[in-house]
Amino acid sequence: MNNEPKDPNEALHELAGEYVIGTLSAEDREAVEKRLAVEPELQAAVDYWEARLLHLTDLVEPQMPSPRLWNRIERSLDETSRQAAPVVPARPNSWWESLSLWRGFAAAGMAATLVLGALLLTRLSPEPSPTWLVVLATPQDLSPGWVMQASNRTREIELIPLGVTELPPDKALQLWTKAEGWQAPVSLGLVKPGEPIRIRLDDLPPLQPNQLFELTLEQPTGSPTGLPTGPIQFIGRAAKVI
Amino acid sequence: MGEKPLDMSADRLYALTPRPVCVGGVDNQPMADTVSQPPLFDYEAALRACARGERSALQQLYEQESPRLLGVVQRIVRDVALAEDIVHDAFIRIWNKAGTYDQARGSARGWIFSLTRHLALNAVRNNARHVQMEPDEVGDMEHAAIDGWQEQTDAFDWRVNPGRIEACLEQLEPVRRNCVFHAYVDGYSHQEIAHRLGAPLGTVKAWIRRSLTALRECIG
Repeated sequence: MNNEPKDPNEALHELAGEYVIGTLSAEDREAVEKRLAVEPELQAAVDYWEARLLHLTDLVEPQMPSPRLWNRIERSLDETSRQAAPVVPARPNSWWESLSLWRGFAAAGMAATLVLGALLLTRLSPEPSPTWLVVLATPQDLSPGWVMQASNRTREIELIPLGVTELPPDKALQLWTKAEGWQAPVSLGLVKPGEPIRIRLDDLPPLQPNQLFELTLEQPTGSPTGLPTGPIQFIGRAAKVI
Repeated sequence: MGEKPLDMSADRLYALTPRPVCVGGVDNQPMADTVSQPPLFDYEAALRACARGERSALQQLYEQESPRLLGVVQRIVRDVALAEDIVHDAFIRIWNKAGTYDQARGSARGWIFSLTRHLALNAVRNNARHVQMEPDEVGDMEHAAIDGWQEQTDAFDWRVNPGRIEACLEQLEPVRRNCVFHAYVDGYSHQEIAHRLGAPLGTVKAWIRRSLTALRECIG
């Protein structure tokens, strides 16, 4: 290893190292954070440095937080989920693992292909082509209801309705995502039926192939537990566009 | 507000975090933090429980790590109130993002510290962006007090808790080692390190780049 002339990943590692030790400017940090979303190699290099340098946090003397800090955190959590979080309903082997559901989606893939093709052909704008596409279809009859695209540059996803969804009164659609290896789905916020929406992906790890997206029926303020509680309205997996 | 005030007392020996004594000394494990991780607390389980919506798990995590996290953040932002704001934001984020933690990418404790540290770094860098120095000021800094840095001694008492990273840091010259510490621990920018050491900006940048390369070759 010592005799290796020049590591091809050196520049990447240098950038990752500078990001982790903290010397980059605000602009450069922002640029790295955007690239992390779409460059697994850079993410891996950052993970490398985070793990190796973590030990240096031991050099810092701990500080006791003021006694009020935990209360403040709790109040903020209460505000985001107004209802006291009840016990999360036990859902062993939930629908994420449902084989029949995914068999159904193999069929939905056909429909999805057609929609994607049509969508790509009709998009005449000069924008850079999206890196990821997801067709969200109904679990019952697999009819596509939404198309989602994610751009590798903007760290944004765009959700486009293919029709107007009728919702029961006092209900809202909430968008969730879950990649392989994640412990639980993460909320991307509420979505209005029939309206396109752009959502920032600020803190999420890079999109992965087959990453799941779904829209569930929730209370107007969103799921009280921070996890999907209502029935799935639309669901689909991310596919990379070459 | 001007540039983040530089801590001119940084030459004092830093008191070390009291933490459980680690047996094993220089470890052969790839993850440096496994050595320093206090035993008994299961960070992975705590994050899993947070992802399930169990607030008691977040509270346990808070009790376990908030003093150390606050220490790390306060050192970087140098403001008690701002540091608490950031730790507050960090725990909200830990709660909301616990489900995205992926064991394959590193330890759960590392995930928590990295998330919190980057919030602090973003806060000081974004602040610096609003009060960015004029180029000629940077030039002035470069010419400030060049002599002296060659005789740099260690500004950080870093050898007490030896691990892989420490063994590799040992191989760097003290002045380069200090650059790494001032960046990682103090949250200094290149300019601030140059100012602090009285070394030219370009030199400091090169030291840091080369230190990172040397560390990576050593750590493997």
